[in-house]
Amino acid sequence: MKKLLLSIICSLTAVFAFGQGKVTFSPASFTAEDEVTITLDIAGTPLVGQTAIYVWAFSNDGVGGGKDATTNGQWGASSESAKMTMVSANIFQFKFVATTLFGQSPAELINFGFLAKTKDGSKQSQDFKPFKFDPLVFTPSQFRVFPAKFDYTDMATVYFHQDLATDINLQRMYNVKVNLTFYNEGGIAVGSKSAIVAKKESTVLYSYAFIPERVITIPAGTKLGKFTYQFTGSVKDANGQDVTTTGPVNEVVYTVFN
Amino acid sequence: MIILNFIEMKNLKYLILAICMISLWSCKPEKFAPITTDINVVKQMQGTWALSKVTQIDQDASTKGFPYKQLDITSVYPYTELVLALAGDGQGNPTTFTITPGNSPKIVDLTSGTWSVNDPMAPTTIELKNGTVVNTLSVGSYLGLKSGVLTIKKDKKLNGKVLLSYQYEFTKK
Repeated sequence: MKKLLLSIICSLTAVFAFGQGKVTFSPASFTAEDEVTITLDIAGTPLVGQTAIYVWAFSNDGVGGGKDATTNGQWGASSESAKMTMVSANIFQFKFVATTLFGQSPAELINFGFLAKTKDGSKQSQDFKPFKFDPLVFTPSQFRVFPAKFDYTDMATVYFHQDLATDINLQRMYNVKVNLTFYNEGGIAVGSKSAIVAKKESTVLYSYAFIPERVITIPAGTKLGKFTYQFTGSVKDANGQDVTTTGPVNEVVYTVFN
Repeated sequence: MIILNFIEMKNLKYLILAICMISLWSCKPEKFAPITTDINVVKQMQGTWALSKVTQIDQDASTKGFPYKQLDITSVYPYTELVLALAGDGQGNPTTFTITPGNSPKIVDLTSGTWSVNDPMAPTTIELKNGTVVNTLSVGSYLGLKSGVLTIKKDKKLNGKVLLSYQYEFTKK
């Protein structure tokens, strides 16, 4: 039974590994108006060894208002403008500006995804998605992090703007606290701390500033990949008793500076 | 009468020409005294400095004109316990440094080693080195040095673009 389980796990791992391809972007972060170069390594995908690869791109995956790239063409006959440039064996590049590629305004574009394929569509990679565009305009929101980009050695400050809360419980929440959970680069939780008293900066603004190593003990050799934060607090019920209420869990991915 | 006028006109022409030439010859570049005396900035940087203020700057937000561009984080942790000592030799050249953090979060990877600058008279970067580990910081305004304030900046980049900076303000002990 153990052997069977082991072989199933190994097979699944092999299948998963085979389905991988490596994508990098230059610049690493970009707005919808920036020129971006996708570099794709097709090693380990069904496209391995191909010399002519085409991009099939789509915008706003899972958030509505999406469009296919203007360069896609037909699935059975990709447009030549979607052809990726071969850099070396299995390595291809494609340069684009999102507003042009999708024919959408920066305000409309939230994220994008793509796959790589042969011209006739007989072979394709898995979807690579979603890749978020950096905002060009500041949009106030009830939860915010300062600064916008930082790594796990940096100080981060999470904010709750109560005046922007849409949920009635969050609007009247008091005794505001914060829950933090930290994850390694593999997405495994490596530490958390709950019910940290938030700083009341004003009647409608709460915050908590921290450096992860001051909140949890980071296992030796571990690099953090992301953290989540959640504001919690109390509200009064119909009998005037304190009842715990919680906000949504917000995820923040650490930037890897170079 | 007309002939006399013609001769006078001719003389006047030569007179004007002579005046112009004399005026041109008399033009010499004026030597201005230096606005200030040469200041050995590196020498001014040497000494023992206590960290007094830490500011986190979101450079991306600044570039895009977003609100929330910077934040004073001095009081979040005991940053003010950190002491930086920059030593120099008899000629004023940079030699060794030590950082005594106390309970402050670390501001660079190193706590001791050697330091150097890119230009002794007008340094813009400080390099802290210990073995193969090198931390590069940039020098803020020189103006504060005279009054005992050293400003150092640390930039964090992604593909050459500065996205986040820390500004450290030290006070001479």
